[in-house]
Amino acid sequence: MIVDAAVDGHVYRVEVTGGQGRYTVAVDGRRLEVDWREAGGPFASLLIEGRSHRVGLEPRPGGFRVLVGSDELAVDLLETARVDAGAARLGPAGPARLLAPMPGRIVRVLAEPGQEVAAGQGLVVMEAMKMENELRSPRAGRLAEVRAREGQTVETGALLVVVE
Amino acid sequence: MTSIDKILVANRGEIAVRVIRACREMEIASVAVFSEADRAARHVRLADEALPVGPAPAVDSYLRIDRVIEAARASGAEAIHPGYGFLAENAAFARSCEEAGLVFIGPRSQTIALMGEKTSARRLAVEAGLPVVPGTLEPLADDAAIRREAERIGFPLMLKAAAGGGGKGLRLVTGAGDLASAAARARGEARSAFGDDRVYIERALSRPRHVEIQVVADHHGNAVHLFERECSIQRRHQKVVEESPSPLVTPALRSRMGALAIDLVRKAGYVNAGTLEFLVDETRAPYFLEMNTRLQVEHPVTELVTGVDLVKLQIRIAQGEALPFRQEDLSQRGHAIECRVYAEDPDAGFLPSPGRILALRVPGGPGIRDDSGVEEGDEVPSYYDPLVSKLVAWGEDRPAAIARLRRAVREYQVLGIKTTLPFFERVLRHPDFVAGAIDTSFVERLGRDPHAAAERPRRVAVVAAAIRAYQQRRAVKSAAGAAPAPSVWRHEGRIEAQGGRG
Repeated sequence: MIVDAAVDGHVYRVEVTGGQGRYTVAVDGRRLEVDWREAGGPFASLLIEGRSHRVGLEPRPGGFRVLVGSDELAVDLLETARVDAGAARLGPAGPARLLAPMPGRIVRVLAEPGQEVAAGQGLVVMEAMKMENELRSPRAGRLAEVRAREGQTVETGALLVVVE
Repeated sequence: MTSIDKILVANRGEIAVRVIRACREMEIASVAVFSEADRAARHVRLADEALPVGPAPAVDSYLRIDRVIEAARASGAEAIHPGYGFLAENAAFARSCEEAGLVFIGPRSQTIALMGEKTSARRLAVEAGLPVVPGTLEPLADDAAIRREAERIGFPLMLKAAAGGGGKGLRLVTGAGDLASAAARARGEARSAFGDDRVYIERALSRPRHVEIQVVADHHGNAVHLFERECSIQRRHQKVVEESPSPLVTPALRSRMGALAIDLVRKAGYVNAGTLEFLVDETRAPYFLEMNTRLQVEHPVTELVTGVDLVKLQIRIAQGEALPFRQEDLSQRGHAIECRVYAEDPDAGFLPSPGRILALRVPGGPGIRDDSGVEEGDEVPSYYDPLVSKLVAWGEDRPAAIARLRRAVREYQVLGIKTTLPFFERVLRHPDFVAGAIDTSFVERLGRDPHAAAERPRRVAVVAAAIRAYQQRRAVKSAAGAAPAPSVWRHEGRIEAQGGRG
C-alpha cells in the first residue's frame, strides 16, 4: 500500500508491506523495520529500528489523530491515485467553511451575507465552558452564507459561515 | 468543638474527588451532588452517597443553593465543603448554610461578602496598610463612568468584574479605541458568570508577575501563612502552571508578603484557608490584587512543599480545632510545579474540547501526583470548566521538579479529547521557563516562538497512521473476500477540519 501522509504541512510518501506485527515501512524511500504490538484499546507499542515509541490512534475524518508520547499530531492520509484531485479541492480558489470547533452557544454573529471580510476577521462569537471565543475568518473573501444564528446551540462541526 | 461525621461536597470534577479523598482518610462520610450530566462522573462513583441536584446547566444544579442545602438535609450531612468555583465564594450560600445549622467549610459569610466584592476588599487592604495597584476603589456601573475613570487612570489598564474572579469579566485595554468593546465584553461575561456587571479599573503593570500567599486561620485567633505560589504562566488571564517557591521571590520579599497577608487576615477577622493574590512588578514591589476566600485550584504545590494537607486542615478548622503549628514550625522543602490539564486545544487558541475520553494513561512514579476528575471512558461535558486534571511534580530543587514534570507529561496519554499536555512540553523546555524568567505574557510569547513546534515526532506519527490504515484495509479485504476495499479516507473531512481551525 502506498499513501501520501500529510502532517504539520509536511507530506511524506509512505509504502507499507508485511503483516502480523512485522512491517517494512518506506518513508520517502527510506526503509524502516517496524515491530508493532497492540497495547490495549487504541494504544500500540512500536519498535522502529529498535527505538521504542508509545502511540495511540484515534480515527478522524481524512486520517488519524496520533499520540506519540503526549505529543499529538493530526495525520491526513491520501491514496496516491487521488492526490491530484484532493490537492485541487484544497486550493485557495475554493470556498472556505467556518465550522464550530466545539459544541456551544452562538453569542453574536459579527458579519452578514455578502459582506467582504479580511483573513482573521472575527465572524462569530461562541460561548462554551463559560468562555466567549471569537471565531475568525480562515481567509479573505466574500461571505456566501451565514448559517449561525444568535442564541443557537450548535454541535462540533456545525457549518457557521462560508467564505468564498 | 463540633465533630463532623458526614460532609456534603458541593462541587464536581477533580476538586470534588480531592475533598472526597480527604474525607475518606479522616473516616468522614462523603456525600456527592450531581447534575444530570454527571450521574456517572468520577466524584459520584467515589463518594459514599450521592444525590441529584438538577439538570446539566450549572445554574439549574450546582449553583442552586436551595437544592444543595436540601441535599445536605436529606443526607444528614453536618457540613458542606464548597470546593472552588460554583458556590465557593457565594456569601448568600454560606449564609444559607449558617441559617440551616450546617457548618460551611470556609470563612464566615460576612467575610466572603467583604472580600467577594473586589472593591471593598481593595479598600480594606488599603486600611490594613497593604499596597494596591492604582485604580478605582469603587465599582463602576455604567459606560460613562468607565470612560471617565479610564481617562483619569490612563492606558494600558485592566477592566475587572467587581464580583469577579477566575479570569471571567477581565479585559486588558491598551487604548481608548478598544475601551467600549472591551467594556461590553467584560460586562457581558461578568453578568453571565456572577449576575453582576459592575466593573472596576486597575492600571496595567508592565510584565507583572503573579504571586500569591496561602493563609490559614483558626477560630482561636491563630493565623499563619504557608508561603507563596508563583502563578505567572497564564492564558486568557487564567493560570495554567503554578509553582512553589517562586523563582522570583527572595527571603526578604517572602517574609514581607507573608506579614502583609497576615495583617489583612487579622483586619478581616478571616477564618479557614484563603489566598491573597499579588502582582509583583519589575522592581519586586508587591501590590495586593484580591483575596480568594476558598481553597485554590493550585493548592497541591503548597501541600507538597510544606507537607500540610490543606483540605484536612480546612475540615479540622471547621470542627473548631486550633492550628496544629505556629509560623516558625513551617518551611518550604524542595520545589513543586503543577500543570493544569484542560480539555482544550492548545493549537487552536485553547478552544474547549469536550467529549468522551476514549483512552487514558496516567503517569506515576517518584514525586508525581495526578489530581484528576476523570477516568477512561468518562465524558467531559461542555457545561462546566474544562479542567480535567492537575499534574504535580515535586523535586529536591526547581531543576529536579522540572525534569520530573517533563517526564510525567511525556508519559501522560489522553485520546478522545484534546488537552493542554502538548503545550506543557513546550513550556517546560522553554529556556525562559527553565531560567525562571516568566511573567504573565509568557504564553503569548511562546505562541509566537517559531522553534516551539520544531521537534514534533512527525515520522513516528506517519509510520503509525500508515500501518493502522494498512491493517484496516487488509481486515476489510479479508472480510469481503476478494472485493476491493472501500476508501477509509474522505477528502471532504480534511477540508472541513482545516476550515474549522479559523
